[in-house]
Amino acid sequence: MDVQGLQMTQNTSAPGVYKRNPPIAGEAEAIEAAKNGDAEAFSKLYALHKRRVYTLCLRMLGNVSEAEDMTQEAFLHLFRKIGSFRGESAFSTWLHRLTVNLVLMHLRKKGLNLVSLEETINPSEEDAPKRDFGSRDLQLTGSVDRVALERAVASLPPGYRMVFVLHDVEGFEHNEIATMLECSTGNSKSQLHKARLKLRELLRQPELSNQPAGLKETAK
Amino acid sequence: MTSHKKPNSHANISCAEFQEQLPDLFAAGGNGLTEDTDLREHLKTCENCSALVRDLQYIADQASLLLQPTHEPSDNVWKRIQAEMDSERAQAAQPPLIPKIK
Repeated sequence: MDVQGLQMTQNTSAPGVYKRNPPIAGEAEAIEAAKNGDAEAFSKLYALHKRRVYTLCLRMLGNVSEAEDMTQEAFLHLFRKIGSFRGESAFSTWLHRLTVNLVLMHLRKKGLNLVSLEETINPSEEDAPKRDFGSRDLQLTGSVDRVALERAVASLPPGYRMVFVLHDVEGFEHNEIATMLECSTGNSKSQLHKARLKLRELLRQPELSNQPAGLKETAK
Repeated sequence: MTSHKKPNSHANISCAEFQEQLPDLFAAGGNGLTEDTDLREHLKTCENCSALVRDLQYIADQASLLLQPTHEPSDNVWKRIQAEMDSERAQAAQPPLIPKIK
């Protein structure tokens, strides 16, 4: 294997975040107008960001009803706090951080103690990824589409899913995740690694692609 | 001199030792590989660990596919947000209560 060519994923700080969340046409004007109480501008911001905020809530919570409630909370929080957005980061990054914090607060209120992440939401022995010192069967490269990955992510144990979504999908860095989840940076790195190992295991099972999506799209 | 190779080992470290380093190596963007010759050598010579690294990197790369939102909240969410915002605006527009002067 070409070691020099190996590019291990690392999130960079602000420029990387802007790369993931580039400014949207008309967004800056809508933000300024919404800060001045323009209801139409706020509805435009909702239209621009509702899908990503809702998808983030749904991935973190795995439940439609709770995800809708938290989407509502996130935008109401935005309505009350938009005046404090100073543009130091991309608006969507700011909004997603606000959303993540609200979801985590909600989970804590429900009694999920995120301080001891490993003890409370670490998976059982059978859910944990197996160590891989010998198998050389299926290679994943080029074989995974978005739907299969979405299903595999939905079936991850909650602690793994949380860190994978925050780091690999949303682009937060380990130190930010550690602050949000009130755990150590090392814990965040280790959870992410285990999440990727578990995903590899899940994605190598051909039957996974035939299973229904794990996110519960049930009616409210 | 007799070589004492560990089981499942390539170069000077075993697969277990290599894989223990992976969380930090990934977090550092692979920088540790360029500094550590044992790790580099192991990755070059161990087919299993190089496949593992390739797969994990692939999964991390594919995660960006999920950045595009695929789900949409029901229309009720916006209705509830609007109702709450209207109520808060109405409250804010009310004149403050003036205490009665005896």
